[in-house]
Amino acid sequence: MIVGALMSAADVNQAQKMPQAASDPSDKEKGLAALSEQETRKLKGAGRLFALSDLLWIAQAWLISSVVSSFVAPEGNLDGGSSWRTVTFLMIFVLLAALRMFLNLQASKRARQTARAVKSRVRGALLEAISGASPASALPSSGAVAAHVGDQVDALGPYLSNFYPQKIRVSLVPVGIILATATVSWLAAIILLVTGPLIPVFMALIGLKAKAASEGQQAELTRMSGFLLDRVRGLETLRLFGAVGRTKDQIRTVGEAFRKGTMKVLSIAFLSSTVLELFSALGIAFVAVYVGFSLLGDVEIGTWGAPLGYTTGLFILLLAPDYFAPLRAYAAAYHDRAAGLAATETLSDLDRDIRARSEALPASDSAQDTVEKLDASCLRPTVPIRFEGVSLTLGGRRVLDSMDLEVAAGETALLLGPSGSGKTTIIDCLLGLHDLGEGRILVGGRDLAQMDLMAWRQSLAWVGQAPRLFQGSVRANLRKAEPGASDEDMWQALALAGAVDLVERLPRGLGTVIGEDGFGLSVGEIRRIGLARAAMRKAPSIILADEPTAGLDDETAQDVIEGLKAMSRGRTLLIATHDPKLLCITARHIRLSEKIGEEVEA
Amino acid sequence: MSGLAKLIKWQWSHHRTAFAGGILVALIPAIAGIALLGVAGWFITAAALAGMSGAFLNIFLPSAAIRGLAIARTAGRYGERLLTHDATFRFLTDLRCRIFEGQAHRAGNGAKPRSGAALNRLTSDITALDAVYLRLVVPGILAGAVGLLSVAWVASISLILAIGPVVLLVFIAGLSVHLMTRKKRRDARRQEAALDAVRLRTVDLVAGRRDLAVYGGLEAAAGTIRAAEDRLADAEEAIEARSSLLSACTGFAGQVALALTLAAIIWTVGEGGVAIAVAVAVLLVVLGLPEVVSMIIPGLSKLDRTRLAAHRAVEGVEPNGTGSRSQGRAVQNVADGGQQKQGQAALAFERVSFGYPAAERQVLEDLSFEIAPGEWLALVGRSGCGKSTVSALASALLRPDGGSIQLGGQGLDAIREEELRRRITVLGQKPYLFHDSVAVNLRIANPQASDSQLWQALEVAALKDRISDNTSGLQAMLGEGGVGLSGGEQRRLGLARAYLTQPDLFILDELTEGLDEVTAAQVLDGFQRFRGDAAVLMIAHKQAEIDRADRILRLDAADQPMAAAAHWR
Repeated sequence: MIVGALMSAADVNQAQKMPQAASDPSDKEKGLAALSEQETRKLKGAGRLFALSDLLWIAQAWLISSVVSSFVAPEGNLDGGSSWRTVTFLMIFVLLAALRMFLNLQASKRARQTARAVKSRVRGALLEAISGASPASALPSSGAVAAHVGDQVDALGPYLSNFYPQKIRVSLVPVGIILATATVSWLAAIILLVTGPLIPVFMALIGLKAKAASEGQQAELTRMSGFLLDRVRGLETLRLFGAVGRTKDQIRTVGEAFRKGTMKVLSIAFLSSTVLELFSALGIAFVAVYVGFSLLGDVEIGTWGAPLGYTTGLFILLLAPDYFAPLRAYAAAYHDRAAGLAATETLSDLDRDIRARSEALPASDSAQDTVEKLDASCLRPTVPIRFEGVSLTLGGRRVLDSMDLEVAAGETALLLGPSGSGKTTIIDCLLGLHDLGEGRILVGGRDLAQMDLMAWRQSLAWVGQAPRLFQGSVRANLRKAEPGASDEDMWQALALAGAVDLVERLPRGLGTVIGEDGFGLSVGEIRRIGLARAAMRKAPSIILADEPTAGLDDETAQDVIEGLKAMSRGRTLLIATHDPKLLCITARHIRLSEKIGEEVEA
Repeated sequence: MSGLAKLIKWQWSHHRTAFAGGILVALIPAIAGIALLGVAGWFITAAALAGMSGAFLNIFLPSAAIRGLAIARTAGRYGERLLTHDATFRFLTDLRCRIFEGQAHRAGNGAKPRSGAALNRLTSDITALDAVYLRLVVPGILAGAVGLLSVAWVASISLILAIGPVVLLVFIAGLSVHLMTRKKRRDARRQEAALDAVRLRTVDLVAGRRDLAVYGGLEAAAGTIRAAEDRLADAEEAIEARSSLLSACTGFAGQVALALTLAAIIWTVGEGGVAIAVAVAVLLVVLGLPEVVSMIIPGLSKLDRTRLAAHRAVEGVEPNGTGSRSQGRAVQNVADGGQQKQGQAALAFERVSFGYPAAERQVLEDLSFEIAPGEWLALVGRSGCGKSTVSALASALLRPDGGSIQLGGQGLDAIREEELRRRITVLGQKPYLFHDSVAVNLRIANPQASDSQLWQALEVAALKDRISDNTSGLQAMLGEGGVGLSGGEQRRLGLARAYLTQPDLFILDELTEGLDEVTAAQVLDGFQRFRGDAAVLMIAHKQAEIDRADRILRLDAADQPMAAAAHWR
């Protein structure tokens, strides 16, 4: 359905843009998907190879017409010498055909590989921007980003590997054929010259009419595509209210209405491709009639002196269809252009958006020589935490102001305060997600900023406000915390989080695929598996929990609290919360004042 | 029968006139185009001969034919595009209905709802399926018909001349058969799997960056996306390379056919068997033939993708093999259906068990309880203990593995679907609201409800003011670009929908979850007034909800985290 509408939209687009098709607006804009000089050269090269292959047809057409004409207008004799000539010509013809095939294959290979390189470059740049952004920064929605990294980048492929070479081809081949025709007959060349460029003019005229109709239809299409999906998503609701049968009738009605509307638009939009068809048919017909009448002797103009002979007459007739072929291929590739240009634009926007929103991850990940290397053994004993005069400004807000905080090794501390008082920011600082403005954070007596943060993060246990489980099995999710863990380790961690029952009842136990495309878990279930994931880190340097009971029912919250208590034995544990249920944990209370978070005077 | 064949059969039987009409009209431009070239070739050759010999040549007929064919080709192309697209849209509409029906049936068998990714696949499959008729059926029949017609015509002139076109046809036919019967066709599947992996992992990378930073590392996650992208590029490369090889080979085959025809002309015309003007006509027909027969190439090079889509769409329509336990609700016509027997429990579970086939433990084992008519029962227990499963079983969304469930003394299996839905209303935690108007969303529950009934229901749900504030009122659209209802308001709209029904039993699943205390109390008060003497099965964990119940049933798991903690140092 979408393809159909794209066609109509493309036809319309094509009609409007065709006159200035040679200059592409995207070429000027330097965005993420802009082509490098080398890539442009390669694509142009591919287009030229296609064009060369097409132009070889001129030589082939000449061979055919000379062979055939020896029967029609025997200029000499049909003796052995001539048939040798014929055999030679036929062999050359086949060799040229093979060469054309080779050129086409080479050209498409080049175009394909360049497209692949560009796609890979664009994806790489987006991924780098995302993974390089601090997890504390607010990125655009994950669904939108995934659609871009997946489908939008893919839409660049046909644009680059198909449309771009066709664009070069259409700018070269018709010119070559007109020149070849003109060497024989200027009148035939004029016939082609007139019928060819008239195509875009008429397509533009019809296209304008189609545009308004198409815009209305576009909105309808969006609704239509979403309609079925919406109803299938809500199928359970429909079923519970006994509305399945009624909805089916509705889907049929909406679909029929859509078909009628679309056909109305298409009946105009297809006119533009009909114009192309009309002119290419007329072009061939005119050339044929002109050649025929010249040969009859009824027409004597149009050549450079000598009257048109049969060889030259057949020659220009054979060339005529190939004059229009690139125009048609170009028109057919046009919807790739629309999709490709739209993708180019949205991808550049997304890239800018991500870079504008993201705060760079503190740079010590690169683990240079100056960065103190941490080895696992020295990290694993539990460590004390100490904030010394830490200040942090995020997005113009002073979030932490000369903050001092201390948690002794093996101590449990509750970080209390209303939302917005900087609890999550403190946890994020300990995760090494922020570059501090002033002050320093010491863990185990060492400055966090000097440490290999990647290794540091892999050494601690952390439970977030809304733990995210990833696409994959429960087992794979738990292994993310402890790569070599056995099933037995996992069941222990699950027991600690009160999640054994839950996992045992899943369709495939530890092997059940969860996440975006997997078995749906409730918030409480996700929280408990998230806690189990943290518990997989058997000897964490510190344990951090950010609002671990938010949004949970009392019983699940109790499970999580018991789990945290069990984990905390002999460990440094810092819990950020404003949930009174957590006050039952024996812990030192750290209250954050509310005044933090004021606007910074500029 | 393969999915593709089945789809073609469906499309044929859905609307035979449109199906056949599109093909017949498509023949016009194809034949006219080839004939145009043939007549043109004949005309100039005959003209050259006449010009040299001074013989008379009827120029009126061929030049009229040339003009006529040019117009036939143009008009035919327009008609073809219209008719074939119309036929395709007709079929896709039908396919949507079939898929919806199939999905409804599937849900009726207790299968899990499809994930967002699976639904997206389904939509893109339907989109890809316009290729079946437009890119495979029409060009395939066209190539066959026009090819055979041309060969028959040429063969009627001279068998030797027919060698060229026969070679071309045999090549294309061989290629098609080879591609149709090829066993190895993993590339389309690999491409799709890789693209899915790129999407899903990107969602994870963006939405779970904190988690990834601590568990596994962001760079490693980006690396797995790059690896998936590499696989994607490899698969795409293979598909595109094959497609360009296909078209290059077809082009070459066309040229070889041309060379063979030229050689055959030299042979036959030299022997004096065939007039040269006719021979040139044959030559130009062979020149035009590849354009028609190679129209099947784009369809063939996307064949794997189309087949995959066809296979899944057919599965979406006929979801048979979805699970061992999906026998479907055996809906029988029960003579006394509809009458609630006096003195019977409103809802009764008798030794009900449920579990997933490959799970390590049953979700429910031997669960028995009853709700008296008019009684309000609260079902409590920690998350994951099976409360939601009880609700799904009671509303016949799932079927028990063992035991029996009775509604007003009748087995759930024995009650007709419409009857059952009339007697039970389920109010879920997250009501699904459709991207449609408020009125459409409400009338899902009761299509006959009048506007004043809708307003009444909205009033009971404390949502009347919110909706009447909007100028479009009941016609206001929900979702993007329409009324943006907050989470709590959405819940209350779900409630209003339920207030348009008059069931014997309400099933409430965490009715006030996420609502503030005042609103929660309002909602519960409203419900209590509305329910009349209907029985209530309420899944709850908030004290305010539990307090309203007549009786509490605790559904608990023995699994204690304290006991397990000892393992952990």
